Amino acid sequence: MPESLKFHFTPVDEAHADEKNVHEKASTDVADTIDILKKEFPDGISDVVVYAGEYTVFVTRDSLVEICTALKETLGFSYLVDLAGVDRFTEDAPRYEVYYCFVNIHAKKRIRLKVSLDEDDPVLPSITRLFKAADWNERECYDMLGIQFEGHPDLRRMYMPEDFEFHPQRKEFPLLGIPGSLPLPPRTPEGGLTMDPFAAARQGSPVKSYQEPESEF
Amino acid sequence: MDSATGYLTTTVDAVVNWARSNSLMPMPMGLACCAIEMMAFGGPKYDVGRFGSEAMRFSPRQADLMIVAGWCSYKMAHAIRRVWDQMADPKWCIAMGACASSGGMHRCYGVVQGIDNFMPVDVYIPGCPPRPEAVIHALMDIQEKIRNEYSVTNDYSSGSPHAELAQPESARLTADGRDLSLNGSGLVHA
Repeated sequence: MPESLKFHFTPVDEAHADEKNVHEKASTDVADTIDILKKEFPDGISDVVVYAGEYTVFVTRDSLVEICTALKETLGFSYLVDLAGVDRFTEDAPRYEVYYCFVNIHAKKRIRLKVSLDEDDPVLPSITRLFKAADWNERECYDMLGIQFEGHPDLRRMYMPEDFEFHPQRKEFPLLGIPGSLPLPPRTPEGGLTMDPFAAARQGSPVKSYQEPESEF
Repeated sequence: MDSATGYLTTTVDAVVNWARSNSLMPMPMGLACCAIEMMAFGGPKYDVGRFGSEAMRFSPRQADLMIVAGWCSYKMAHAIRRVWDQMADPKWCIAMGACASSGGMHRCYGVVQGIDNFMPVDVYIPGCPPRPEAVIHALMDIQEKIRNEYSVTNDYSSGSPHAELAQPESARLTADGRDLSLNGSGLVHA
């Protein structure tokens, strides 16, 4: 079997931590960038975790925007690849995490930032002013986990209807949903249609079923 | 008609059902990956034109068969129901694939667990996604259903014919043997 087709398990236990990971890529080795960040923001970085050759920088909430600004404007990480939330649902650590993946296209480097958030105060500053791409990701994160992004230009729900009361990716939300929380059309032909079932999405009042919506043409 | 040239007797139902069943115009409600198989069903290889259904109508006013292909979210349900309500009677519906029929693998909060929760379905197709042959089979089932329908003699649009037909024959028949519930042409009274 050729070497490239062999399957390698990623080591998970400490005993193998000193061995070199076969999946390791040069693009995730950003030790020098992290050194610069540590020097510039000694209070902003709470922890740096290396796993499988990938660096995760734990950032405090207050210095998130400054660190992102430095990454974008001086360190060349101008491309926001991904931004999403995690519900760890643990008692010992802050419950939520939001991660940010950036790429430096010219240097071919990748870096991952993480912010831990307490359950009682899931508020983060928005980075949409720096990265336009963060707009929908932050909306998704707000929709699914209920994390508020301060300074977001349009923090509406991404997937669920605007008048939905819950945040479905929180661990306590039942997988099959909460009965009655999402409206369905009536089961009988006589029931009449709900023309605008999610009227709250447009801050409007529900249209009566006998009123046709106004034509756009 | 002149008896010298010969004539043919049939029921209006047979003609109407023949015409309806062989000219079903599908409204493709493609929601997910099943829609790809639905395209193959309409394409040249499986050639649903053999059954008279090759003309997909993207306007509900011109369609009489809705193929709901794919999983349906709670948000989309309202749109599908509106399109369905705009289709002119008579109309039929196929729930294509496991998701449209029962929610399928999307057993979660955002997906309606079967489109029959908000609209009537005539034929369910299992599969994930079903092959185009299965869609053709469902179409043939619909055709079979149409061919067995009473489209004219039991026209419900002007009231229920059963109210009169349910009476015993002695109450319906007049002294000279005329059936009160039928009009001069032998059809149910309008």
